This record gives sequence, C-alpha cells and structure tokens, in this order.
Amino acid sequence: MVAEALTIVPPFVYVLVAALLLPFVPRRVGHALGFVATAVVVPIAFLAPEGAHWAVKLFGSEAQQFGFEVVLFNVDEFSRLMGIIFGFIGAIAVLYSYASDASNKQTAYALSYAGTSIGAVFAGDWLTLVFFWELMAVTSTLLVWDYGGKAVRAGFRYAVLHGIGGSLVLAAIVWHYAEVGSFLFSASTGIVGGTPAILALAAIGIGVNVGFVGLHAWLPDTYPRPHVAASVFLCVYTTKTGVYAMYRAFPEGHLWIAYMGAAMAVFGATMAVLQKDMRRLLSYHIQSQVGYMIAGVGIGTTVATAGAFGHVFNHILYKSLLFMTVGVIIYRTGEESLKYVGGLWRKMPVTFVAFVVAALSIGGFPGFNGFVSKGMVLAEAHYEHLYVIWYLLLAGGVGTFLSFIKLGWYAFYEGSYDGPVRDANRLQMVGMVTVAILCVFYGLVPNALFAILPGNEGGFDYTTYTWGHIQEGVILFILGVVAFVVLKRLLDRLGRVPDIDALYNPLAFYGTRGLVRGVTETYAAVDRAAVATASGVTWTVGNPDEALRRATGRTDTDEEGEPTWPVSLRAGIGTSVLLLTAVVTVGIALLIVV
Amino acid sequence: MSELLPLLVAVPIVGALVGLVVGYKFERLAWPLAVVTSLAHTALAAFVAFEVYAGGEPLSYAVGGFQPPFGIELVVDGLNAAVVVLVAAVALGILAYARRAGPHSAAFYTGYLLLVAGLSGMSVTGDMFNLYVFLEITGLAAYALVATGDDGRSAVGALKYLLVGTVGASLFLVGIGYAFVATGTLNMADLAEKLAGVGYGSTLVRASFAFVVTGLAVKTALYPLHTWQPEAYASAPDSVSALISALVSTVSAYALGRVIFSVYTVDFLSSVAFAREFVLVLAGISIIAGSVLAVMQTELKRMLAYSSVSQFGLVVAAFAIANDAAVTGGVVHLVGHAVMKGGLFLAVGAIAARTGARYVGEFDGLAARAPLLSAALATLSLSMVGVPPAVGFVGKWYIALGAIQSQLWPIAVVILLSTLLTLAYFLRIVERMYFRSAAPREAPAERSTGTGAAAVADGGANDDSDTDDERPTLGRGSDVDFGSPSAGMVAVILVAALLAVALGPLVSTFEPLLEPTLDLLLQP
Repeated sequence: MVAEALTIVPPFVYVLVAALLLPFVPRRVGHALGFVATAVVVPIAFLAPEGAHWAVKLFGSEAQQFGFEVVLFNVDEFSRLMGIIFGFIGAIAVLYSYASDASNKQTAYALSYAGTSIGAVFAGDWLTLVFFWELMAVTSTLLVWDYGGKAVRAGFRYAVLHGIGGSLVLAAIVWHYAEVGSFLFSASTGIVGGTPAILALAAIGIGVNVGFVGLHAWLPDTYPRPHVAASVFLCVYTTKTGVYAMYRAFPEGHLWIAYMGAAMAVFGATMAVLQKDMRRLLSYHIQSQVGYMIAGVGIGTTVATAGAFGHVFNHILYKSLLFMTVGVIIYRTGEESLKYVGGLWRKMPVTFVAFVVAALSIGGFPGFNGFVSKGMVLAEAHYEHLYVIWYLLLAGGVGTFLSFIKLGWYAFYEGSYDGPVRDANRLQMVGMVTVAILCVFYGLVPNALFAILPGNEGGFDYTTYTWGHIQEGVILFILGVVAFVVLKRLLDRLGRVPDIDALYNPLAFYGTRGLVRGVTETYAAVDRAAVATASGVTWTVGNPDEALRRATGRTDTDEEGEPTWPVSLRAGIGTSVLLLTAVVTVGIALLIVV
Repeated sequence: MSELLPLLVAVPIVGALVGLVVGYKFERLAWPLAVVTSLAHTALAAFVAFEVYAGGEPLSYAVGGFQPPFGIELVVDGLNAAVVVLVAAVALGILAYARRAGPHSAAFYTGYLLLVAGLSGMSVTGDMFNLYVFLEITGLAAYALVATGDDGRSAVGALKYLLVGTVGASLFLVGIGYAFVATGTLNMADLAEKLAGVGYGSTLVRASFAFVVTGLAVKTALYPLHTWQPEAYASAPDSVSALISALVSTVSAYALGRVIFSVYTVDFLSSVAFAREFVLVLAGISIIAGSVLAVMQTELKRMLAYSSVSQFGLVVAAFAIANDAAVTGGVVHLVGHAVMKGGLFLAVGAIAARTGARYVGEFDGLAARAPLLSAALATLSLSMVGVPPAVGFVGKWYIALGAIQSQLWPIAVVILLSTLLTLAYFLRIVERMYFRSAAPREAPAERSTGTGAAAVADGGANDDSDTDDERPTLGRGSDVDFGSPSAGMVAVILVAALLAVALGPLVSTFEPLLEPTLDLLLQP
C-alpha cells in the first residue's frame, strides 16, 4: 500500500510540476512548494521498494515487436543513494535561493534542472537516461543564461560543449543498442563494447560532464558567473550525475578511467590553488573531488565503488556548503575576488564556522565526512597496488588543504574589508548549519553513511578510524599548511592563470569562422563559375556569328566597320545539295564499302 | 469495305478540281466547298480506321482491278490508319482556321486539297513507285502553298524547298530504281520477299536502302538535310506553316517507317552492318542539333521549325530501334507531334494577329495581353517538352523505354538530353509570357501619330494586300492590317491544346489496337 503510493509517479514529476507552477505563484509560496517537492524525493528514494517501476514500451504497444522497453523509475542501491542526496540538497538549495533573493523564474529553472537530474538517476535504461541527460544540459544552460551579462557567453560555451558530450553519449548508446538489442540496464553489464570505440565514445561523452582533464574548462568558466544560489544548484547535479552514469557504463571499472580520475584530482587541486576568484577556486575543486570519485569507479572493486558513491554523497554536502558560504560573502559584500575581501571571520562568525567545517571535510581531515569516503578510495588504490594513482590522490589531498587554507586565510583572516558586513541571514544560516552538522555527523558516525552505500552486505572490508588513516589525514593537512607558508608570497603575486580554454576557445572561434568563410567562398566561386558558363553559353547561342568570329580570329570588316565574315551561317541551296550528297555518300559507303 | 480506299485519295482531288472551277467564278464558294470535301474525307478516313481497328485485319485494294504485284495496291493497316485519320482531321481543323486567317483565293484551297490528296496517297499506298508519285504531288502542292506568302522571302523559301526537295525525291527514285533492278517488282509486300530472296548482301539492295532512306530523310527534314525547312515554314502564311509542319514531314516520316518495316524489314536492319546505325546516327544528330538550333532562334516560327527537326529525329530513331515499345512510341509521337506543332503554329499566328509579337523578345508579359492564347501556347509547349500526362510525354516515354529495352544507351541519353533542351527553348517563352512584364512600347504611339517612315511602310503593306486579294492573310505583310483573330481561330487552337493533353491518357486504349499490326511488322 505504502509502496504503491510511493511509486505512483516517478519522483522527477513532483519537482518538474513545482518548477512549472513556480513562475505563477507568489515567491514565498513558490519556494515553499519547491522545497516540499524536492524534500519529498528523499523519503520516496529511501522507502521505495527495489525494482523497476514504470516499465513502459515506447513507440509501440506490448504486443508489438517494435518499440523500446524503457524504465522510468528504477530503484536500486545506487539510484536510491543518488535520489536521497539529490532530493535533500535540492531542498536546501531552494531554501538558500529563497534566502538569497533569487527570483521565481531562476528557481523554476533550477528546479527543472534538479528535476531532470533526478529523472536521470532514476532511469532504468539508457534511453531515458540520455533523454534526461540532454534535458539537464538545456535546463542548466537556461539557469546560467537567466543571470545575463557575462553568464550568457559562458552559458553558450557550456551549451556547445555539453551538446558535443551529449551527442557522443548518444552515439555510444545507439551503438550499444545495436550490439545488445535493448536499452535496459538489466540487459547487460554496463555499456557493451563490441569495439573499443563504443567504450571510448561513452567515456569521453560522460567525461565532458564529469570534467576529464582537457574537457573540464566549462566548469570554472561557467559556475562562477551566475547568481550565487544558482551556483549551489550547479555544483551538485551535472558532475554527480556524470559520476553515476560513469558507473552505469563501467560497473566493473576501467584502469584508464582510474588514472584519469587521479589526474583530475591533482590537476583540479593545482589549478584551484592558483585562483583568486572564490567561486572559480571552488569550481576547480569540483573537478578535483570528482577525480576521487572517478578514480573509485575506475578501480571498480566493491569498496572503491562504495567509496566513490560515498564521496558523491559527502561531496554534495560539503561542496554545496562551500558554495553557500562563499555565496554569503558575495551576497553581503558584492565582491567575487579574494583580493577585495578579508578579515571577515569576526563579522560573520557563523559563516566562518560553516566554512571551516566544509573545508576540513573536503580536505579529508579526520572527524569530517570527506575523510571517510576519500579514505575508502585511497585505501583501495593502495590495496590494489595502484601506487601511481595512490600518490596522485594523496598529492591532490595536499593541494586541497593548501587551497582551502588559502581561501580561508584571505577571506576570513588576513586583511580587512571596509564597510558594514552582516553575517548570513537566518534562513541562509539554517541551510548552512544543517549541512555542516551533517558533515560532522557523517564524519563521526561512518556507519550511518555505510548503511546507505551500495554493495554493503553486512559491512565493508574497511575501517575508517585506524591509526594509519588518521595519521595520513593529519600529515596531508600539515603538508598543506607547510606548503601554504612556503608558497604564500608566490601565490600573492600570481595573476590570472590561463587554462586549456584559452587555447581552444580562440581555436574554435577562428576555426569555425575559417570554415564558414571557406564554405561561403567556395560556394561563391562555384556559383560565379556556373553563372559565367551559363551566360557564356547564352551569349554564344544568341550571337553565333560573333562567337565564330572570335573563335577563328577572323575580323574582316567593310569600310563602315561592319563585319563581313561570315556572310551567313544558314546553308544556301547549293550548300544544302552538297550536304545531301555528302550524307548519301556516307550512307552508301557505310552500307556497301565497309 | 476496301473499295473505299481509293476514295481517300479521289475525294480531295475531285474537291480540288471542283473548287478550282467553281471558285474561279464564285470565289466565296471556294471555302465551303473545301470544307465539304474535307468533312467527307474525314468521315471516310474515320470509317476506314474504325474498320481496320475493329476488324484487326489490314484492308487492301487493287487499283483498277490489276492484281498486285503488277497492279497498284492500296493498303491500310494499324500503322497508317492513324496517319490517315490524322491527315484528314488536321486538314479540317486548319481549314477552319484558314477561313479568317487566309489565304482566301480559290487557288489556295485547290492547292490545299491537292496536298491532302498527296498526303493521303502517301499514307495508303502499298507500292513503291506510287509512293514516289504521291511524294511528288505532296511536294509540288507544298511548294506552291509556301509561295503563296507573296513576298520575296517566301519565294526564296519556296524555291529552296523546291530544289532541295526535288533532289531528295530524286534520290528516293534512284533507290527505288535499284530495288527494282534487283527484284523486278515495285509492290512493297512483294519487294520484301524478293529482296530477302536476292539476299541482303547484294550491293544493289544495300545501295537502294541508302538512297531511299536519305531521300525520305530530306522530306522528313532530318539534320543536316533540313536546310529547306525553317525558311519554308517561317516564310509561309501561318495557315500554311501549320499545315505543312503538322503533316508533310509527318507523312514522310511515316513513309520512312513503312519502307523500313514493310520493304526492307527488321531483318535487313539487324543483319546488314551499319544499316540501323546509319539511321540511328542521323536521327540522333538530328535530335540534338535541332534542339540546339531551336534554342538559338529568336523568331518563333523558326524556333518551332527547328524543334520539328529534333522531334522527327525522335520518331525516326524510334523506327530504327524497331521494337514494340519504340514503334508504339514513334507512332504516338508522330500523331502527337502533328497536333502539338500544328497547334503551336496556329497559336503563334493568332498571337501575332492580336499583339504583333513574332519574336521571342516581344513575348514579355504576353499572358496579360492575350491570356487565353498564352495559356494554349503554354499548354502546347509543355506538352511538347513532355510533361505528363500530355501526349508529348507518352510518346517520348515509349521511345526511351524502347531504347533502354534494346540497350541502346546513347540514344536513351540523347532522348533525355533533348527533353532538357526542349525545356530550354520552350520554357523561356513560357517564362517571358508569365513572369515578365511587358516593356513600355513606343511603337503603337508612333503609328497612331503617323510619322513619315511608319506611314510609308504601312501604306506599302496595305497596297500589297489590297491588290492581291480583298481580305488580308495572316503571316503575309503586316500583322496590324490583319486585325484580331476570330473566335473560330481561337477555338481551333484551344481544341489542339485540349487534344494535346487528352490524347496522352488515351494512348493506353490505342496501344492494344496497334499491337496486331506491330506483331506482323516486327516479326523477325
């Protein structure tokens, strides 16, 4: 009975309905509606019985041979976890949006984005997944565009890149369907690679969403630009849905993906250290943290996968918390860059405490939730003797500590900010404190997290709090502090550091312009040639005498300058008889002589 | 039944003579007499054709009771029954047009009926020498009719037609002579057997084929033997242009087909090296060259004349391909082309009468000035291009089908190419009529105020026509003097346009009627 009530509609419907209603109701009512619609996903995801609900056949009835089997509401331990955290953080983000003066329209876009993401993680087949995947790209672009200004161009670049990524995923899925004959997850183990190209397509296509090194530049380009509340939404859904899809595509992992994850962890952290813009710094950290998840998925053992999904869960908590705290700073000061803020800890103590909790969580300091899940991935890399990955992930950890010490130092400690600054407003505080408490809770009580992690059959072969793990966490922190002390002067003087997009944005722009011009010019040349030929033929046909004169070079003229040759092109009587004789001669010769 | 066959020739001859005698005294009676004759002739032709198609057997008549092969035989089978009806019907239609368009003299009607007699004779005769005689009768009547243009241009045109046509006819006679020397007979059916008996390897037989084909090709006006034709068509009065363009080359092409199938037979074509190729190459060149020359013309009547060169290339190619589909297509196109081309000449004449436009450049925005005639001209043009379901399409379709069935790819390509070229020269007319606006014309204003030069020119033209006959003739002298076309003229043009469209779907009924004849003619 309860189960039936829970699965009566797929959960994304609630969120999308709320998104549709939002523009037409008062702000307070609308945001309350959005809060309820996203919050209700949590119990549904938690309680809905495992299995495929809403299995339907697209483009054909059950009896027919044609059509595609799809599952709109699929519950297993992976989608359950994703649903819980997506729903929960959606509700917090709606609350934060309301507190941060977001318009109804923006929250409507944000909810449609959250709704399509929830649709994607509850999909039971590739077709539904890719459908929501593409919709996510559209809705998130709209969310970015809604802010206007610089966000428009960034949103456009974002849309182009995600369009390409989505197309690659779609190509991989179509190819997969050709191999397997079904879109259902249950029909195969991940994407079936008849040829390595299918796997490469899937990995690269999903890699755009998770921010593979080289394909990541949209992330720091886009996320810092829109409204602060929009950033909270953005930092949650796209990349994490990507991690989820990566697992669906490669449930048994893949070594190259693990290496890519490790590279992302180091690259993202390194780039983050070099940033001055607060949200840009956080955006690079998304790439870095997603690197840990991708490494976990890539390693592919039960503990590594569980660690990856645990990290998804934890990361969503502390990263949204970070974006909320930084959002509050921007909300209160209007400044985006670390250069113009400082010494804020006295003026906004609650925000400062929330930031510290989030920073220690993301760095993986013992006692905070990041420590739990990141430790699982690290231990598994070590256990599987993937030392290169292990060292890279450790180095990423140092970079993480370093960059958050930097962020905290410049924003809250060093320097001062002129002018009155108040702390976060009450509702913002409610959101931040709730999430911060969860960060600490899941750090101190790992089993609460383990209970909802996939692959948990009576506990994991992993103990969170061992001496070794605690030492590891503390050493990373100390290394981070030392590195900050050593590098501080250098970091102070650093200007803006170019990323890969400084290379490919102009390349794409001038390349496209060159292509368009090339095509237009070629077409114009062909057109000119065709027109010239046609008018030449027309002229020749219209002026046969003149054409003949020009062709032979005979320009005989009489005294008045009128051409005297050729007299006439029409055959006279004599010529006619001559022609007649010639034809009859040829005929006789052909028939008799030959 | 077969006793009626000689009447097909006799009736117009008698009508011509009576018309000449009576018309000499009462010129007003000349036209009614010609119409009565033509009506009788048409009824006769229709009846004969009905008998042939209903009976499924050829009708044959021995002239004067002398039995073939020594006597002259008249034969009507499925192939020429259609031609006989065509000759009679087109002659009747153009006679209706000529009532207003002229020429109006009794001599003209006599020549007209003599031409019809000659054409009917060529159509029904089963004797080679008799064919030559009727060919000459047709030719002489046609030279005379062209010369009724009464100005220098038509005189030169007629003279050229006379000389070239006579040389062609002579070559034809030489060919007959060779065949006669080889076999000792002139009857077509008999010749077919005897020629096979002599053997196709015989030099006499082969040479006779070359002479006969070339001679008839002159009359059919295949390139490059067409040189007499554009000038003759363009310089003659419009009724005459229509009549000879619709019938003279048509019946000559029929004669060529008849000679190939009934005298030399398909066997000869396939067993003698280069016999088929000679005809096909002549026809193929004609198709392309005629179209290209037509594109080059600025005068409408000359353009239509060159168009005929191309279209008869198609028909002759069909006869040379000589399979069921191609010959069916050839006959359909023969009949269809006569209707379309005759209609086109009549329409051009009527348009000239109404607007004075005889050159391509003058057709801008014509649809606004003469909507009905423009529509008829456009319909006939598109039918000639081969737009389904008009008869022009059906004919070309069967011929192309035959070429493909016989795997004569070059001919198939040429047919398709000619359709493009046909589109080129007809579409520019349609485009000018419907999609351009007329340039502001100064000429009418000039005429009404009567500047010196225009007055003198007009006066001269008026004098000419006044001295020759009371009523002006279309296509002779100035179109302004003629005035506007009569309702009867427009009606004839509309009937031609409707026929061009309506005959297309009727071909499917005609095809089975033709089948027994083709089985007989094309048997190996």
